[in-house]
Amino acid sequence: MAFEELLNDPVIQKYLHELVGPTGMPVAAAPPDGEVTDEELAEELGLELNDVRRALFILYENDLAEYRRVRDEDSGWLTYLWTFHYENIPENLREEMDRLLEALEERLEYEQTHEFYLSEPAGIRFEFSEAMEQGFQCPETGAPLEPMENDDMVNAMERRIAELRDELNVDVGRDD
Amino acid sequence: MSASAAEADLSEDEREGLEFIRETGGIHQSDFWKELDISSRKGSRIAESLAGQGLIQREETVYDGHNTYHLAPAARDLEFGLLMAGDMLSPFIGEEEVNHNSDAFSQWLMNLAYEEH
Repeated sequence: MAFEELLNDPVIQKYLHELVGPTGMPVAAAPPDGEVTDEELAEELGLELNDVRRALFILYENDLAEYRRVRDEDSGWLTYLWTFHYENIPENLREEMDRLLEALEERLEYEQTHEFYLSEPAGIRFEFSEAMEQGFQCPETGAPLEPMENDDMVNAMERRIAELRDELNVDVGRDD
Repeated sequence: MSASAAEADLSEDEREGLEFIRETGGIHQSDFWKELDISSRKGSRIAESLAGQGLIQREETVYDGHNTYHLAPAARDLEFGLLMAGDMLSPFIGEEEVNHNSDAFSQWLMNLAYEEH
């Protein structure tokens, strides 16, 4: 098996699982060295050919696998020869860290500029204007909506934003 | 070759250069050789070699009005655990659009606050 070092990382395992789902995971978790056909993988892993193909095409869409087609001279059938490109995983995850940072920064702005109310029994949070529309009463349980602090969440967000900016080497003064 | 195996085979100069690039988090090649007090030719050779082994990323750029390269640590050195909140991975993975008000992201944020509390 190739790319063992990467595949030992639990975050990377989780990432692959997120992409291909549980049925595709046997394919994603054991990339062979060199080229392999979808039939060989299905046989080796004891999976349906369709499940193998589905997983391979998801990996392909994420730059983690590529294929070349070869025509069998006797039968005229096309064979797909697949190669795994897990060396691209770190770059994909770096992009995901960028996307997460951006979302955190936008959401932080929202959390800091709005007030929230909680329906304790339903466990639902309402933004001030929504709460007002409901007359400060939970539409599901009728319970009164109580003001809710979001300091813990805001603090946790600020910490993670600082860690991500540091890790991704984002300039503190950037204004984009 | 794996990253750690490649690193074990580095020359003294290359190791020092890699350390420096990791410390700075990213630097232009024209500053890199000046800071290390080596010739530009040597600096370029070290950067090329590190990039060739996948230990750094080397991208063409214009800096201070001249063409140079930006040298940055390889993505594999990053702390991917920052994508996690509790045992939940960033909800934007596999999604085209980043919606910062989605329910999935709210769930992720609650995990984050809970984990740190």
